[in-house]
Amino acid sequence: MKRIINLTINKIIYEHAVEVNTTLADFLRYELGLTGTKKGCDTGDCGACTVILDGDTVNSCLVLAVQADGAVIETIEGLSNEDGLHPLQQAFVEKGAIQCGFCSPGVIMSSKNLLDKNDNPSNQEIREGLSGNLCRCTGYTKIFEAVSSQCSDNKGGSHGKI
Amino acid sequence: MIFTIFCVRHYEYDVGIDIFLSTYRFLYDSAMDYQIISINQKGENFMLLPKFEFYEPTSIQQAIELKKKYQGKAKLLAGGTDLLVHLKKKLITTDHIISLSKIKDLSQIKEERDFIEIGACVTMSQLSKSKVIQEKFSALKEGGDNLGNHLIRNRATIGGNVCGASPAADTLPALLVYQTQVLLQGPDGRRKVAIESFFKGPGKTIIKDDEILTGFELPIPQKNCGAHYIQLGKRKSSEINVVNVASFIEINPGNKTIKNCRIALGAVAATPIRSFFAEDALKNKTADETAFYEAGEVARRKDCKPIDDFRGTAEYRRAMIGVLTKRTLETAYKQAMAQ
Repeated sequence: MKRIINLTINKIIYEHAVEVNTTLADFLRYELGLTGTKKGCDTGDCGACTVILDGDTVNSCLVLAVQADGAVIETIEGLSNEDGLHPLQQAFVEKGAIQCGFCSPGVIMSSKNLLDKNDNPSNQEIREGLSGNLCRCTGYTKIFEAVSSQCSDNKGGSHGKI
Repeated sequence: MIFTIFCVRHYEYDVGIDIFLSTYRFLYDSAMDYQIISINQKGENFMLLPKFEFYEPTSIQQAIELKKKYQGKAKLLAGGTDLLVHLKKKLITTDHIISLSKIKDLSQIKEERDFIEIGACVTMSQLSKSKVIQEKFSALKEGGDNLGNHLIRNRATIGGNVCGASPAADTLPALLVYQTQVLLQGPDGRRKVAIESFFKGPGKTIIKDDEILTGFELPIPQKNCGAHYIQLGKRKSSEINVVNVASFIEINPGNKTIKNCRIALGAVAATPIRSFFAEDALKNKTADETAFYEAGEVARRKDCKPIDDFRGTAEYRRAMIGVLTKRTLETAYKQAMAQ
């Protein structure tokens, strides 16, 4: 059984017919080809499929595409523009916060949402904000430093120390 | 030829295909190219959601009619953080899913004069942000804040947490100590059930096949009341509690005796339980460290009936009940005195 859904992804409006048993992660990857959103565990444990849905981060593997009808979604593909990478992405590159890179899209979406809501989170808040995203390379320290360097207090140059 | 049929059967039943693939990879690659394509056209060969009919009622009445029509066969979808995982892992099967997300009434927190009503589809994030919950129901906020991780909390609902009926669930001890009434609605009307009598066992509740849990009614605590919740797990995030305890205390401000007190223990019985012996031991006692310590001892010896499992031993759980009961009572007392 297919349903027509309308949704905005990275400021582009899509109208698409989807099977009701398609998850949002599968819809993004296999119907729209937005493969930046990764699928790790598919059961909401790892956070690799994190997207921002109506201003809140969610595991897109645990949302049905039909449930996202009418929603505004941001994925990793929406961050960079013609001027180059998003500052947060640039910080991940500069701080070496990417190893195999599989968790990075999810981690970056989580940290973007965290910084959108609070431009100067405390160390504890950063850790809590990233607690839903697992990095199996275990490069958490560098990820933390990259996010910390984007806090409004640290942008001047004194980059995040733990 | 036999091999081909065997493989197709496996694909149809969607079981063991990954083990099968790895074992017979060499045969598979040479003989079954077209099969690989058919499996992989969606990119996946396991963990797919099964096929189901999907309904999105816009009122509670419509949802109840649908539930009545399909009796026990339909499943309700609220946050999906349990249901979709169980469907993917093939732990449950269903042909009909009724989504509750289009019913606006279910995702509201209504504040009345002496009670609040929390809709079944209120998410943990919503609970945490609500002013009345922060000010008057701090133990419930702490419970919600400890569930899963922030990604899960943006989807997981309080109704789902209660209907899941896990003995270790994060919101249940707090709901027990706040004397919550569960609001159920069926074709014959509404009924209210005290949360103590709502659970029958792990994953089992008294909800009938044609009923829907619409929300919870919590009386607003009076002055000189405090409550606290502590959970003990192996990590700080994304874990299932080894033990959790919530305490609620009402103080006589004049002589600092305990007027009223409720303690709830999680993960030490088949359902979350009230610690009645410990509550009795505290009544009318002067609130001090000795009284709280003794209440913890009573809870440990008389109230909890834990079992060994891979998260912790019964002995450890028992010991922790004593400690956490004392600690939650102490914090609840401080909160009550601060008011």
